[in-house]
This record gives sequence, C-alpha cells and structure tokens, in this order.
Amino acid sequence: MCILRDIAAIAKGMSVTFREMFRPTIVENYPKGPGPLRGARFEERYRGVHVLQRDENGLEKCVACFLCAAACPSNCIYIEAAENTAEHRVSGAERYAQVYNIDYNRCIFCGYCVEACPTDAITHGHGFELATFNVSNLIYRKEQLLAPRPAHLGANAVFNRAEVEGGAPPVVAPGE
Amino acid sequence: MADVNITLDGKKLTAPAGTLLIEACKNAGIEVPSFCYYPGFSLQGACRMCLVKIEKVPKLQTACTTVIGEGMIVTTDSPEIHQARKSMVELLLGNHPLDCPVCDAGGECELQDMTFAYGAAESKYIDIKNHREEQQWSPVVYFDRPRCILCYRCVRVCGEGMDVWALGIQNRGVASVIAPNKEDHLECEECGMCIDICPVGALTSGAYRYKTRPWEMKHIDTTCTHCGDGCRTTLGVRRADTGIEIVRGDNRDKSGINGDFLCIKGRYAFDFVDNEQRIKQPLIRKDGRLTPSSWEEAFELIGRRFAEICGREGGRAIGVIGSSKTSNEENYLLQKFARVVLGTNNIDHHRTGDFPAFARALAGKLDATASMRDVFKAPAMLVIGNDPTNQHPLLAWQIRNNVRLHRSRLYVINSQPIKLRRQATAFAHIPAGSEAKLVALLAGDDSVLDVLVSENTPREALLSLRDRLRGEQNLVIIFGAELRGEEMARLVKVGSAVSGAKFVCLGDYANSRGAADMGLYPDLLPGYLPVTQGKTFREEWGGLPDAPGLTIPQMVDAAKAGQLKALYVVGANPVARFNIDPFAFAKSFVVMQDMFLTETALIADVVLPGANAYEKSGTFTNTCGDLQLLRKAGEVTGTKPDFEIIVRIAERMGFDVRKLVPFGGGMWADMGQSRGAQSGEADRHSVWLEAHGLETKLSPFDPMAILDEIQRLVPGYHVSRRTLLSGTDQHTRIGGPGILHNPELIVPANDDLFTSGTLGRYSRALNSVLENQRRKPVETEVAAD
Repeated sequence: MCILRDIAAIAKGMSVTFREMFRPTIVENYPKGPGPLRGARFEERYRGVHVLQRDENGLEKCVACFLCAAACPSNCIYIEAAENTAEHRVSGAERYAQVYNIDYNRCIFCGYCVEACPTDAITHGHGFELATFNVSNLIYRKEQLLAPRPAHLGANAVFNRAEVEGGAPPVVAPGE
Repeated sequence: MADVNITLDGKKLTAPAGTLLIEACKNAGIEVPSFCYYPGFSLQGACRMCLVKIEKVPKLQTACTTVIGEGMIVTTDSPEIHQARKSMVELLLGNHPLDCPVCDAGGECELQDMTFAYGAAESKYIDIKNHREEQQWSPVVYFDRPRCILCYRCVRVCGEGMDVWALGIQNRGVASVIAPNKEDHLECEECGMCIDICPVGALTSGAYRYKTRPWEMKHIDTTCTHCGDGCRTTLGVRRADTGIEIVRGDNRDKSGINGDFLCIKGRYAFDFVDNEQRIKQPLIRKDGRLTPSSWEEAFELIGRRFAEICGREGGRAIGVIGSSKTSNEENYLLQKFARVVLGTNNIDHHRTGDFPAFARALAGKLDATASMRDVFKAPAMLVIGNDPTNQHPLLAWQIRNNVRLHRSRLYVINSQPIKLRRQATAFAHIPAGSEAKLVALLAGDDSVLDVLVSENTPREALLSLRDRLRGEQNLVIIFGAELRGEEMARLVKVGSAVSGAKFVCLGDYANSRGAADMGLYPDLLPGYLPVTQGKTFREEWGGLPDAPGLTIPQMVDAAKAGQLKALYVVGANPVARFNIDPFAFAKSFVVMQDMFLTETALIADVVLPGANAYEKSGTFTNTCGDLQLLRKAGEVTGTKPDFEIIVRIAERMGFDVRKLVPFGGGMWADMGQSRGAQSGEADRHSVWLEAHGLETKLSPFDPMAILDEIQRLVPGYHVSRRTLLSGTDQHTRIGGPGILHNPELIVPANDDLFTSGTLGRYSRALNSVLENQRRKPVETEVAAD
C-alpha cells in the first residue's frame, strides 16, 4: 500500500512535468532569446534608461528648465543651459540644454523627472543593461540619452550649422 | 505722530497715524499680497491684489493706498477677498505667456507665487495671447513685453530711486507698455535695478540670461570689490570644472547697507573672475620669458632671494607695494610681513584719499565719522567735490533717497555740474581747484569771494549758502580727494562748529580705507600711528624698524640708483597707475601677485596667481569706515588667496610663521566661510565643535586667525565679532594721531560707473556696455542727466 501510494504520488508529480514539457515556454529566455533585446520583453510603463525626446522637426524638446533636476530625489541630473541662436538652433524654445548628464550611479528610476517635465522631453525608455566595470561610464551624457532623429527627416538631416562644420554626432542607442 | 487704534482680522492693534494699511498689516504679521506696492516708492494702486474689506465701506479697498484711521475694522482674508484676488491673477494671466520653464524669473517669480496661493489654475479667457518678440534694450537689459504685468515698479525705481527716468509708459489702458527712453534701447546708468525689482520675468538680465535657475545656485552674501562704498552683494554660485563659478550678482536679502541698491559693477562686473586671461599658474621669468612653473618652485625662489637680500643688505633694499582691493587681514599681514619678516618700512599703496590727515583732523573727536546708514538719515548733507553718482553710486543713492523720503537738505559744492545738484537745496558751482578757497569762505574769510564768484554762482548765493550751513544741525559733510592735508583739517574745524556734524572722507577703491587703516604707509603703523611711536606694536611683534621707509616714487628712485634690490607687489598695478619707467626696476628682483598679466607683469620676475575678494574670506572697510565681512563665493583652481601666499613666502624665508599669524585654538573660528560654499561637511564639523565648546583649529592660512590681533591693536576696530560674523556692517571710528603727507601722493582713481581700475578692463559686462555706448552717435540731449 505504502509503495503504491508513493508510485501514485510520483506519477502525479511527473504528469505535471510531462504536460508542461509540450507547452510553449512562457519565461523570458534572456539573454539568449531572439531579436535585438535578446528575448527581454517590457511593459510599456517600464522605467528604464531615460530618453530625451525630439519634436516633429527633429529639434530637442528639452528647454533646460531644471525642473527634472529639482524634482530628482537622488540629485543625479546635471544641466547646463545655453541660448539658442538663429545659426545654432538645438531646441524649439529660447534655451536648450548644452550639457545634460544623468548619473546612473545615483538614479533610482522613480520617474519624478518624467512627471516634472513641462515639455515631455524626458521619458523613460526600456534600456536596462547598465552594468559596467567602470562607474564613470554610468554618467550618461546628452548624446547618449537623446532619441534618434525622426525617420521622416532622413538619417542625414542636419539641424544646425555647427553640425555641418563639426560633423553630426554618432547616434547612440539608449542603454548601449 | 499719535497712535491710531485699528482692528485687523479681529486683532486690536495700534499703529502710528499716517501708516499705510498694507504696512500696518505687515507689521502685524499679516501678509497682504501686492505687485505694484513697493516700500519707499510712490503709490500706484495698479495691480489690485491688496484688496481688503474695510467695515462700512461698500467695496473692497486697496490696502496699499489706504491710510489707517481711528477705529478702522479690516478683514484681510475672506471668501470674497480670495475670489477677488483670484480674479485679479486670472486677469494678469490673461496675456501672460506661461513660458515659466524658459523664463529666467521662474522659481523666484511673484506671479508664480500668487498663482499658487490663489489657485487661478484655469482661465475663462480663450482668446489667443498677444505675442511680441523679446527686445534687447541694452547689453544687460532684456524686455519681454507679454510677461509684463504693468506694476510700474521699474518706472518708479528708475525715476524716483535712481533719478534716471529712462523708463516710461506708452499708451493707455490695456495697451499700456513699458518703454525705454530711446525708442528701442535704453540710455541709462545700467544699474539693473529695474530687473531686480521686476516681480515677473519681463525685465531680465543679459549677464545671467538662461544660465541656470535660482534654486540651482548657492547664494553667498559678500561685499562688492569695486568702488569704496562696500555694497552687500549676494553672489549666486555653482560648481564648475575649474572650481566654483559665479553666475549672478544681486542683493537678494536686501539687508546690507545698500538695501535695494546695487550699481552695474556690483550686479554684473563679477565676471572678471573667469576672464580667459586670468593667470592660473605661477610664472617665473627664465631667459627673459615668463614661463609656467610650480608653486613650490616659485616659493623656493622668492624665499631664497628675499632671505639673501635681507641678509646681505638688510630690509631697506626691499620695497613692498600693497593693494586697496585686498582684505584688511591681508593688508595687516602684508605690513607686518614687511616690518617684521623683511624688517623694512618700505611699504606703500595707491592712495586715493588723505586718510592720515583725516585721522589727524579728527583726533580726539568721538562719533565724528558718519556711516553709510547715517547718510540716509541725516537731516542735512554737504557734498564738496567728487561726483558721487559716478564714483560712489551707493552714496549718491543714500543722498538722493534721503532727500526724497526724509526731505533733508542737500548742499552741493562742485567745480562740475554734477547730477546730484538736481536734489540739492543749494548748489555752488565753483571754479576748478578752488575747493580750498571755499573752505576758507566757510571759515569766514570773505576775501576769497572774488575767486569763487562766477556767472552761475553769484556772491549772494555763496554767502547765503554759508549762512544756511551755519544754521544746520547734525550735518553730514562728505568730501572727495580735492581736499587734503591742511585744507581738510580746516574743513573739519569749520564743520565741527555745527553741532553733531559728522564727516565722510571719500576713497576710491573697495578697501582704500582699510588699506590706510591697516598701515600700508612707510611712516604709519596700523591705526595711523607714526612708526616712531609704535611702542605697542614693538612689544607685540618683538622689534620694529624705526626710520620711516620709502614711498612709491622714492622706491622708483632708489631702484634707479641701484639701492632697491627687490620689489614685492601685492594686487596692485603701480607701473600703469604711476606711469613708472619700466626700466627703473631692471636690476631689481620683482615679485608680483595678481589675477592678470598687467603692465606691472612686464617688469616682474615672478608672477603669482592671486585670488580676488570674491574668492576669499576676510573683512573690508568701506570709505565711511563700515566694517563688513567678505565670504568666499567663487574659486578658480590654481590660484591662492594673497593671505596664504604671504604666509608661505615668510615660511620659505625661514621665518617662524607663528610669530606672523597667531593661529591655533582658543579663538573665534571661521565657521566655514573661508572654505567655500560647497564644503558642507567641514562647516558642520566646525559648527559642532563650536556648539560643544571644543577648540576649533585655525590654520595659518585662515584670515580669521589675525583678525583678533587687528581688533586688539587697531583703534576703532573693537567691534562685536558676533555681529560681524552674522554679516552685519559695523561702523569703525578712525583712530590714531595721523600725520600730514605730501598731497601729491594721492592719485584719485577717477573711475566712473562703467570703469573699475584694472578689474574693469577684464569684465565682459562693463566692456560690452562701454562698447555699446561708443557705437551710438553722440547726441546733444543726454537721457540720464
């Protein structure tokens, strides 16, 4: 009796195993999955590495109002503002962020900066692979955070004269 | 005036009759909001924010234009009032662009505060806002018309406060607009008062434009380093790659001697500190060329050469030239260094006022000097010589507003038709250089009348001026460098006949008075004590050279004759200022410490990068004798404060530093001011030690370490240290016997509103204003005058 009961218990347990064997996998197969995200999938609301958005003309939305830096509880945003000129137009308003750094050593991904932003310039992307051997790599500059140029303007669209002279900066995908 | 009983929000109060209701509320601790009301200016009643309910009056009344009356019962907050104010804010926001994220006033905007307080978050007005492009009115003034809420504060401060009248109103009603005096630009004193007083971001500063936001900066209150008036200025600082950057200057807390006031130099001309020409590394002349070197190498060389020369030829072969822009502590230390370490009295500085003669004239008189605050309160003022509007802007502001607000009488005697004559009860236009004759006239000598009388100033006018002055009481007498030596003594004698008379002797640079008080003279010790009478100092310092040393021209002669082997110049530019032949010092070893490669650097063998007054702690004495604190605001990597440099040179010469700077425990310590804005940890540590009665350590580089000695030994400087450290100005009386000097040694700086000696040449803001003025065609009609 005792043996039979044990066999039944094992059979019951194994039945679950064999049943699941033939079902599709639901766990993420990160980092060996398919696609650029190597199997990772996100909810829309996921708060990853920030993205600085551009408007429909490809200009930066950020006007360097410092509200994100003021809202930041971990004090990880550093901004230097500058004035747009006719020759050098970076953002849609009178001023733009000449320097925009986020220190991911300190960032707690709380999303307050996104809520504070009056121009919807800063948003959370889905970048999450931040690990590095050197902490100074964790201070992301504006060039690393900026969204790519909108596709309808063409990959080689030039936004201001400084870029013609200096060559367009390489677009770095967020999280890389 | 008699007191009046009123009831404010149920509280029974008494206030002097004639008080405005809004002021009575403020004194009772009740806040009544307002935009257009500003204490000290005429009433406007434009913004309607201060509406309150007064019993038995059918409609709400404006508290800013209502004078309290007996038995008045006032309610300052009720649903009705709240609704009225909310509607006012809504109307103001009707055409306000709401570009707060971009606006420089964002974060310190009164309209933002009111919108928060009265919650007019939604608007009934759906019309499209009337947009106008922003205008640049001058290099430092921008005007954004849609942001303007028409409170007229700028118009009043410019006209009533500054007496410039460069801003006005065009059109009427809803079409009203603030307009500059020259159609599309301003021609004015560029003081920036309109920007400071603007409750919104309609008038913004060109220097601070889009740089940062108010809450991102640390605000350090210190003393301005330009003219001799010693305005309190609050510097907004932030961290930068090269240390701590100064981003903005204003007078945020309005608590200093200057109250609301700052001129263009205090507000914008801090920008010489990060001029690209600033020296950031010691330079040593090698093969005829100034080459960058290390501090160690420079100190080693200077220490060795100074010790060598002192040992071989004695201290008289070394000359020292001090500065009128370094702090009292540095000046005291420098003269102590010269007298004790080098053993010479060859120390001098650029003199801009005859303070030794002033001390001599006032010897034995108590309370005979006026502070900057006294000038604002005096019932009568006499200004002889100088042009305060250009050379002493704060003094002019005090005089103007004293006349305007207190109806005091102003007597102006000048060889030029200076602007202050417009406030004057009587103005005597005398021929140039006849100030001394005028003093003789005031003394009762009628024989000089012939010289003084001119077309503009008839004989009777001069005589009636004299009679009126004789009839005054508590007169404040202000005089410039036109009066020196015996003539000054004579004026003081004449003036002292007026009961309660007080005097102000004008010096031109930020610490001209302090340099004089601290004894940067070849024949005077600190406190105007002749070197021959220096018993206390001899005992304190253990020895002192007896013979008076060389003045600057004598140093030049001695160098030409080959007797002066070394020259040590601290923060001065004698080559340009005294037009010295650069080859005079060809054979001398010249050490210079300054911020820039000035003309003097041409002859220097070693140039050390010094720090300016915004980058160190210490004290300044303004031209009236008000002692004020300097707090460290900025920092430029690579430079050192002059105090530290002097101590290090003494140490390298093999001198026991403890004898120079009495550092260590047991004294009032620096509470972090000298370590700068960003070092919170060190400050808290020091405060904690202080709070627990433990010993705080002073380093030999801490200026506070020598302040004790100054307060002990220099007459007039026994002021409360606690009050001083809290940032409040304190008046020092001028002490000591004083001496008569050769008046030729005094060279007035002759700066105007837009120049500031060597510093001004390196200020972008001042240069841009000057350049802008040069570009304009010369017009016969001058707006500001």
